[in-house]
Amino acid sequence: MIQTGITKLDDYLMGGIPDGKSLVYYSHPGVEGNVFGMQTLYHNLAEGKKCVFVASSSDPSMIKDMFKEFGWDLDAYDENLIVVDAYSGLVGATSNEKYVVENPESIDLLNESIEKVMEELDENSTIMFESLSTIMDLCGEKETIDAVKNWNLHGMLYEHVLIYNFTAWPYDSKTLDLIKHELFDAVITVGGIAERVIYGQYFGVLKTEWSDIELKSMLFRVLRPGGIRIYIPKIVVTGPYNAGKSTFVHALSTRAVSVDRIGTTVALDHGHVDHKGFSADIFGTPGQERFDPIIKMLSGEAMGIFLVVDSTNTKDFVRAKQMLEITKAYGLPLVVIANKQDQSGALKPEEIRSHFNIPENVQIMPTVADKGEGVFEAFEALVNKITEVV
Amino acid sequence: MSGYSLGIEKIDELIGEIRSGSNIMMIGPPMSGKDDIINTIIYNGIKDENSVIFVSTREPGERVLEWFKQNDQDTFDAHIGIVDCVTKTLGMVASDTEYIKRASSPVDLTGIGVKISQFFEEFLMKKNIPNTRLCINSLSTILMYSNIQTVFRFLHVFTGRVKSANALGIYVVEDEMHDPQTIATLKQLFDGMIEIKSNGDGFAMRIVGFTPKPTPWFNYEIDGMNIILQESE
Ligand SMILES: Nc1nc2c(ncn2[C@@H]2O[C@H](COP(=O)(O)OP(=O)(O)OP(=O)(O)O)[C@@H](O)[C@H]2O)c(=O)[nH]1
Ligand SMILES: [Mg+2]
Repeated sequence: MIQTGITKLDDYLMGGIPDGKSLVYYSHPGVEGNVFGMQTLYHNLAEGKKCVFVASSSDPSMIKDMFKEFGWDLDAYDENLIVVDAYSGLVGATSNEKYVVENPESIDLLNESIEKVMEELDENSTIMFESLSTIMDLCGEKETIDAVKNWNLHGMLYEHVLIYNFTAWPYDSKTLDLIKHELFDAVITVGGIAERVIYGQYFGVLKTEWSDIELKSMLFRVLRPGGIRIYIPKIVVTGPYNAGKSTFVHALSTRAVSVDRIGTTVALDHGHVDHKGFSADIFGTPGQERFDPIIKMLSGEAMGIFLVVDSTNTKDFVRAKQMLEITKAYGLPLVVIANKQDQSGALKPEEIRSHFNIPENVQIMPTVADKGEGVFEAFEALVNKITEVV
Repeated sequence: MSGYSLGIEKIDELIGEIRSGSNIMMIGPPMSGKDDIINTIIYNGIKDENSVIFVSTREPGERVLEWFKQNDQDTFDAHIGIVDCVTKTLGMVASDTEYIKRASSPVDLTGIGVKISQFFEEFLMKKNIPNTRLCINSLSTILMYSNIQTVFRFLHVFTGRVKSANALGIYVVEDEMHDPQTIATLKQLFDGMIEIKSNGDGFAMRIVGFTPKPTPWFNYEIDGMNIILQESE
């Protein structure tokens, strides 16, 4: 079994891709689906695995450069990276690669090279097709489909994992249906949220042969360097006055701003978190009651909520409970932050649970926000809740 | 949503404002000044505070920028995004810049598509610029590496995106390089054409598709940023 190296996707795939299986990243034109295959390839090289890159639309001498854009240095893996050059022949360039397809428009020649490389590999490996759509454009839809069937069969035989990047141009609808439903063991769709233009990207699991996971779509963004990050556009941090919300937002964030007056937040805090494959924008609300409309407004489009309480300040728990009610109405994933654990008299999470009557399925995480203790554990707890497999 | 004008005086008067969401093919023989004409149309867009997305298959991105710098320093905080399909094809290592994103090659339609979409998002969503011109110079280069069905599929997607973005699309095609069937196939995707033909010593142009009848042919001369039309025949 190999991993895709993409946060959450491996969970959705029940751990990754079993040996001998095939997976296609099926992308709508204009979204960055091609990065998925690259990230999977890099992840496997970094794991010490042998990998094959089938170049169809890029000069092999440019491949390292392409990966470097994401901060992925391939120099250390020369031994383990094999390139099948199905590009140079197209532009009349000479190739330095061991496996060269003299005429990339010939499916037979390509087929020959792919079969050969699969046979000659001395261990089960990951084979990544840079662009199945380019192969299809050059060799024809029917011809390519037949070849893919053969490659997947070979993959099964030699227990290689085959990864394909595919851009869903308006091909024959039969072709697209075959790709989406029949040819591959797993299909990951990569799409765009569009209104006039594409302004957001998501991926989802359309099918897997080895598990029956319900389809779930995740927003993502691509960082350079960094690669694919699960994107959570809005997490709201709420809680009573002076509980440590602003401190919590700043402790998590790579960059953050607060609109404060005399030490209390009057508008909101905004921070950006980049942690373990997640990229999130977090918004802190003011704590005082007169700002409750802001909490409602902010919670509207949120994907999750932190409720911060000062663990020493039991008299504020009434207020906290009231805020819990305001936000609970939205039915969002919620994590309670038991802050100021460093102070004497601070209640432990389980004590807070009984005070509040908080159900067992809501996690309560201890933190010392001004020292940054526990804040990332709390973040992980919430994003896991937001992205959990249903 | 306002429409577009080409910046070629007499022609703009004749055809009126071009509806937003329109896609136009510019077709003409080699050496007829198509590059200058397309640059003029872009330049006119910049003056109108449009953003410009320019897919260059024949010149590195830096060269395209230079043309504008040479001709007019002032426009240079313009919102221009170049998709450079040349530099990496030549095997040169160069990273992206504020104005230039690089595709792997003219075969890399996936990459070209991603970069066009990113500029669209940047200009329309992040910078809130309502009008954008997308120029591809040229389809003929792309057709050297990909067959007509492939290019048709690509254009089908992106002429559609131009439409939904209320942008203006202009696509350059070399005359005489393609068979009539290819041209006929491409034509189906466009709302109108800028046709160029050689005419005695020089060249003439006309616009088809935006008026009930094609405009008359105009001989023209190029003077820096200006296309100067002579009297029609
Ligand atoms: N001892 C201790 N002090 C903390 C901790 N977290 C925050 N504080 C302090 O608590 C005070 C209030 O913190 P803020 O982050 O401003 O609280 P807030 O919830 O944003 O407050 P409002 O916006 O006014 O509602 C500050 O003086 C912080 O330094 C903690 O874990 N331990
Ligand atoms: Mg605050």
